[in-house]
Formats: sequence, structure tokens, C-alpha cells
Amino acid sequence: MTISRRVFVKNSALAFVSFGMDPLFLPRAVFSPYRPLPSSTVPYRPVLVCLFQRGAVDGLNMIVPYGEPLYYRERPRIAIPRAEVVDLNGHFGLHPSLAPLKSLWDNKSLAVLHAIGSPDSTRSHFDAQDYMESGTPGRKATGEGWLNRYCSHDQEHADTPFRAVAFGPQLPRILAGSAPSLAIDDLQAFGLRVPQDVARDRLTRAFEELYEGEGTGLLASSSREGFEAIQMLKRADPTQYRPAGDVQYPPGRLGRTLLQIAQLIKSDVGLEIAFADCGGWDTHVNQGSSEGQLSARLRELGQALSAFARDLGDGMRNVVVLTMSEFGRTIRENGNSGTDHGHATAMLVMGGPVNGGHVLGRWPGLDIDTRFEGRDVAVTTDFRDLFGEILARHLGATDLAPVFPGYAPAADRFPGAIRL
Amino acid sequence: MRTACFIALTLAAASPCPLLAQQPHLTARDSALHALNRLAYGPRPGEVDRVAGMGVTRWIERQLDPDRIDDQALARREQQFKILELDREELAHRYRDAQRERQRMQRELAESGDTVRQRVPNGPMREFRELGGQLQQLAIVRAAMSERQLREVMVDFWTNHFNVFVNKGADRFLMPSYIEETIRPRALGHFEDLLIATAQSPAMLFYLDNVQSVAAGSRPPGMRRRGAAQPERLPRGINENYARELLELHTLGVDGGYTQQDVVEVARIFTGWSIERPERGADFVFRDWAHDYGDKRALGVTFRGEGKDEGIKLLKLLANNHATMHHVSAKLCIRFVADEPPDGCVDAAVAAWQKTRGDIRAVLRAIFTSPDFWSPHAVRTKVKTPFEFVVSAVRATGADPDDSPRLAQVVARLGQPLYLQPAPTGYAENEAHWVNSGALLARMNAAVALAAGRLPGVTANLDDVTPATRDDNQLVDLVNDRVLGGAMSAHTKRVILEQLSDVDDPMQARALAVGLALGGPDFQRQ
Repeated sequence: MTISRRVFVKNSALAFVSFGMDPLFLPRAVFSPYRPLPSSTVPYRPVLVCLFQRGAVDGLNMIVPYGEPLYYRERPRIAIPRAEVVDLNGHFGLHPSLAPLKSLWDNKSLAVLHAIGSPDSTRSHFDAQDYMESGTPGRKATGEGWLNRYCSHDQEHADTPFRAVAFGPQLPRILAGSAPSLAIDDLQAFGLRVPQDVARDRLTRAFEELYEGEGTGLLASSSREGFEAIQMLKRADPTQYRPAGDVQYPPGRLGRTLLQIAQLIKSDVGLEIAFADCGGWDTHVNQGSSEGQLSARLRELGQALSAFARDLGDGMRNVVVLTMSEFGRTIRENGNSGTDHGHATAMLVMGGPVNGGHVLGRWPGLDIDTRFEGRDVAVTTDFRDLFGEILARHLGATDLAPVFPGYAPAADRFPGAIRL
Repeated sequence: MRTACFIALTLAAASPCPLLAQQPHLTARDSALHALNRLAYGPRPGEVDRVAGMGVTRWIERQLDPDRIDDQALARREQQFKILELDREELAHRYRDAQRERQRMQRELAESGDTVRQRVPNGPMREFRELGGQLQQLAIVRAAMSERQLREVMVDFWTNHFNVFVNKGADRFLMPSYIEETIRPRALGHFEDLLIATAQSPAMLFYLDNVQSVAAGSRPPGMRRRGAAQPERLPRGINENYARELLELHTLGVDGGYTQQDVVEVARIFTGWSIERPERGADFVFRDWAHDYGDKRALGVTFRGEGKDEGIKLLKLLANNHATMHHVSAKLCIRFVADEPPDGCVDAAVAAWQKTRGDIRAVLRAIFTSPDFWSPHAVRTKVKTPFEFVVSAVRATGADPDDSPRLAQVVARLGQPLYLQPAPTGYAENEAHWVNSGALLARMNAAVALAAGRLPGVTANLDDVTPATRDDNQLVDLVNDRVLGGAMSAHTKRVILEQLSDVDDPMQARALAVGLALGGPDFQRQ
């Protein structure tokens, strides 16, 4: 089913041979004596940034169906008052904390997918996250994540160590598998950790020489990718890219991560897929309304996404940001002014290629009869249809069958998130 | 030819004096190093010579009979681990207290509208988190310090084969007893006993949702009181998860010849296999009301409605099914021989399994006496997992891990957080899974830090390895001998010598030589 890692060894060895010849597919900035100005940087290839809202975000308070009386009846304490919703299309609106995203909606680079989720009925975070990352709902034994399967089967870009980067200490399930991907905890700390520059360079060179003795094999190719990455980072120095103009990322991990993703994009090291987690969405107790727990998390998300878009500016032309969450939450608020595990949720798709200004997907409504198991928003869009569309129409994947085994999203089911 | 070989191997398996160490390409020290790399977590300084001196065959036989090996030093260390004193019920209580504290904090956080959740809990939450850290660190301390190395390797193997994800709800408090009571006592016993024990373990029943699996239409006797407020939250029928993974992962293997209908029938057989409420100790319980008493037909065998015994009968059948023998033997060979093991060692293992009805020690002996185990294709070819890398580095430097979870955190940073693989497949054993550029750089960093005495949670004892000396050649020879067990390549030796050439301080030179040796390619292999 998957291409063995050995194929990669061969391919990356070839890539290495041609490394000195400045082939067209290599990011030019690294080799060019003149760095393009940050403001004019347009990434060479399409980039997908995935944010996983772990803990199951309440889609109904993130993208509020304020036109539905039932919404207010079911949530007397936590509904967002109509006057405070940031209207999108007369029926749905943004949580007020997401107001910074309104301008992106207005300029058609933000779309919302509502009533999206998994065909599997599980309400376990663990299972549902697992399914969303493996891309095989209901099947637990899938070894790789779907983003990694995409990388294995679409090898046109397998030429840079920065093709797929997860921000965090470990490679997440969604990127697990045989295709190379980097886990970077902090861009500034990537490489050998020695305080002094000279000593660090020397130790790096020593290890590089040690592994050069390997000749072939996975240890050889992977170490080479690592040292290449260090070299590329050193030359491209992503951290030189300060946020454009007066852009300020919000404090905290999410803002820092998105800033570093923007730096990687601007430094043109060949980033195609970036992944980051943002947690804190499991609002069983006192989730709040316009203010409160969920509001605080959404404020950080909205500020970070808005800063990212403004920071990249024209660079957003080739970038799509996708948020995802394992499931949504109950329509009715619970006895603790919170919400319990539900079914469908909402996802945001943002960027230049996005068919923005629309709430996409078929809205099933909140009526008892249309609810999933009598209580939750029904899933009308299988998450694989959205993910598949982005892979196909944004990243240019030619064959989705191996990425989503047993499903193979087809164009007639794509929700239409990417402009044709 | 094949048959003759087969018989020879079967005989060898039965005999305590097998054909190993007669491989022409291996010296006695090479053989000792290979055995220490595979049956143990690598040699400690000087151990290669000790094993070679006693005879590698004798050492292997001793490892196969761990109860006769003295392990007092480890037993004393284990006394520092409070988690070993707490039973499931006690852990369940503490978990509940931690949950309550968490909810209370969440509420307070929401009320204060705080955006940054930086407050450090210091009550039950913190205490429970520390217990979780102890559980991980205990695995490292045991792997590094036990004299019964093969048993520790097998505990790791079975814990991974019968994987449970510790962060799935109740498994946070069910995991310790799973390790101590389910896996450890049976790691070198019969596969059938181990399989039945895992099937009845609260940790597995919860992890693979069998606790949710009830006969369609069944209702618990006490249901009337609860009213109809949340009927959708009660399980309504079978849950296939355990049944599927039992067949696919624990026994027959994905190509083991079962059908989706078999999965359904097996799930029906296990309806009612559940656990008690946490406050009553969360022990295994068979719930008669939830069991499907209809006839089932699974894997070509009819099961009459007999309650719990149906499941036991099925597990015994599975434990000695040919596909199971082959699947599990191949997995053992992947662990001990090579990522893609030759048929010879797998066949030898299967033959021993058949002969002894799954005596794990006999199966292992068959693998260790197979020529494949000692072949040049096997020796020093397997890449260490992060856990193996860290533990072997600790052993190689004569280091002593402390009781804090910091070394476990290092293993996690290298990509293998213990008991935290969410997928029931467990962690992969093949190199493609572990070798990537970020992970290798992280290994180099850990190696340099360990040698320089900067790795948290452990103090290397380099005096045990080599005296600090300004004679570079002597230093590198000693590092080769004591840290790499003689496996240092000429290339590695040359590069390290080059690096040492302008280092004047002997302590610094020693740390650098050890750091480069541990972080270099030779030490990544076993």
C-alpha cells in the first residue's frame, strides 16, 4: 500500500547528487546571492497549513447559526447574542472573538465548512482524532497518517527536508509514516544544541563526517537530510524575517508557531505542508458565551490567523490554512453551562486559492428530526471530501485513492472550498 | 534440504548446547556483543568480555531462566517507586480526585476569563501526573539495570504487541496493573496464558472498547431508575474493536484468513466481558445480562451460548492456530533477527511453538539457535528504537538513571513516548519508522549531552568507561572497546581522532570521544 522508505533513499540520493547543479525545482533563494525582499516573497509552491483544534471545538459557537431560533432555545446560557455575532451571510456569523477574520471573509479568502465530520459515530477524543489523522474512520490499524500518505504518493516534491514540518516535539499521527517529515519544536533550536556558534559548527561538521561514512542506507540519507536542513536554515536564516509592517502575533504557542511557519514560507526552503496543534477546546464546563473560556481560545486563534495572513500578505496567494477538530459538541448546553461531545463541527479554510465568502456544505439544521442520534449536528460532509479537495485542487495531488484507502474522494463530492 | 535443516533446527532447539558461536565470521566477543545487543539492551562497560568468558551459549540459557538470576540491586531500586505500592482501586481514587481538581480549575479559569492557563496544580492532579511519570521511568530503570535482561526485552515486546494507550481515560489508572499483573509474570510463559490474561485485563477491555460491547437489545438490570434522559449514551449493541484487533494484531495477523463476519461473531462471543466500576477496583467482570447467548460461528467453529467459556475456548483456539504461530513468530524474528527476517528462523520458531504449544522460551531458543540469528545479514544491521538507544547509551556509559521521569522524557522527545502509542498496532520495529533527520539530530544531541554530563535524569560514569587520557589513540581504543563493544568502524575511528587532535583538556577529549561514539552511526545499530 505504501511506498517503502527505500525508494526514498534512492530518490533523495539522486536529489543530493543534483544538489550542486541548482536544478529548477530547488528553492532559488538558497542559492541566489540576492534574497528576495520579504514583502515580495511569493512561495514557489503551494503550501498547506493544518491546525488541529484538539479537544473538539464547539462549531456552533465558533460559526454561529444565529438565524435558527432553536439555537437560542437550546443554549439559554451560552448562546452568542444575536447583536454580538459578526454576520457572515444573514444566517451564520462569526463568534465575536473571531472578528479579526471578517476582513478575510470580505475579500473572499475565508470559507467555512459547516456540519463536517467523520462518518464514524465515536465520541471518544482518542478514537476520533486517530481517525481524522489516519484518514480512515472506523479503522484503527492504519499505520500512517493521511498527510504522510500524500507525501509518499506524490513524490514530485520530495527534494527538501522542509517539505512536511510538524511544529512540536513529536511527529503527530497525521504525518507518521514512511515519507520523510520533520518535527520541529522551535525553529531557532533546530540542529545541534551547543551554545557557541563556532563549537556548534564544528560539532555539526564532525557528525556530518561520521555519517558520511555510511555511504548508503537510511541512516545515511536521513542524516544528510538533517544536515542539509541545518545548512539551509543557516543560509536562508528564516528568523531574519520579522513580521511584516506592524503585524503582531498574539502571545502564546499558537502565535509563535504561525510566526515560524510564515518565516519558513518566506525563506523559501520548500515547505509544502505545515502542521500544528492548538488545544483547549474541550469545554464541558462553563464554556462561556461572547466572553469566557471558548471566547479566549477563539480570540487567540482569530488573532493568530489574522496576523499570519497580514504577515504573508501577497504570499497568501499560494497558501491554504485549514483548521480541523475531531468532532463537534452537543446542540443543547449541559447542566454545567458547557457542552458535551457531539458529532459534526465547523472548519475554516483560509488563503488565496480559497473560494472564500461562503459557508459551504449542506446545513442540516438543528431540528430534532435531522439530528444525529437525536442530539447532535449531523455530518453532511465527510471530512475526507474537504481534505481530498485541498490535496487535489491546491497541492495538485493526482491520485487520492492511496491517500484515503477505501474511500477515494471524488470531485463530485468536493465541497468547493478551492477556487477552480 | 529444507526438511533436513528443519530437523536439525528442531533438534538444536531441544538441546541446551546449540550450534551457535560456531559462525566462522564471528569471534567469541562478536557473538557476545550480538547477544547483548539483541537479548539485552546492549553491553555495559566490560560486559562483552564477561559474556564471552562465560560462553555466550551459557549466558543465553541463563537469560532464558531469569528466576535463577539474582536481581537484588534492581529490587532495591524498585522500592523507590511508589506506584508499585498502589493497587488499581487506590489509583482509581486518585484519578477521580485529579479529575475533580481539573474540573474545578477549569471552572475557575472560565470564571476569571484568564487567557493563559499557566497555573501549576499542586494537589491530586500533580500527584497523579507524577505517578504517570514514575510508570514510564520505571520501565527505563528496569531495562537499564535488571540482570534479567531478556525478560525486560520480552516485557517490552509483549507490552507493545498487546498495546494499550495509557492516556485513554480509565487506562490512566488501569495501566500499572496491566504491566505488573498481566504482562510481566507471563512474558516468558505460554502465549495462550498471556493472550487470555490480556483479554481479561481491564486495561485492554477499556482500551479496545469491549466494555461497551453488549448484545443487541440487552439492558442492564438497574436501568429503570435512570429514566430516559440519556438513553443514547448507553451501549446499544456490539462493539467490534477488540474482536478486530484480537484477530488482526494479537493473533492471526491481517492476512490470517478471517472475514468481517468472523469479526462480528467474535465480538458477539465477547459481549459481557467488561470491568467493574472504578470505585470497586475496576476488576474484570463477566456481565451475564450483556452477553449474547445465541449460537455463533467463528473461524469455522460453532460456539453454543455458554457465557464466558465461549471466549476462553476461542482464545485457546486462536493461541495455537497456525496463522497465529506464524504471525507472532515472524514478529519475534523482526524484533530479534532482522526487519525483514528470513524464512528459516521463522520456521524454526513456528516448529518450536507447535512442539511446545506456545512455550515462549522454547520459541525464543529456536530463534537464538537459528543460523539466521547469527548471520552477517543480521549482526549489527538493526537500527535501535529510541527506547533501545537511550537505555543502551545509559548502560554503555555505566550510568545510573534517577527516579525522576526526565530520562523517559528524553525517550519521548526522540519519538517514542512510553505507553503513549494511540494505535493498537503498538510502535513499529522497522528502521523506516525511527530514522528521520530530526530524530537523528535529537539522538546526537542526547549523546553529546549524556557524555558531557548534561543529560537530565542521569549521571554518566565515564571513569567506568575509560580514564581521561591525552593519548588519543588509547582513548579511542578504550571507547571502542568499552562503549561500542568493539564495533567501531575504521571511518568512525578516524573522524573521532581528527576531532580530538586539537583538544587539550583530557576530560573534554573523553567527553567528546564518547559523545561522538554514542551519537555516530555505529551506535545506532545493534
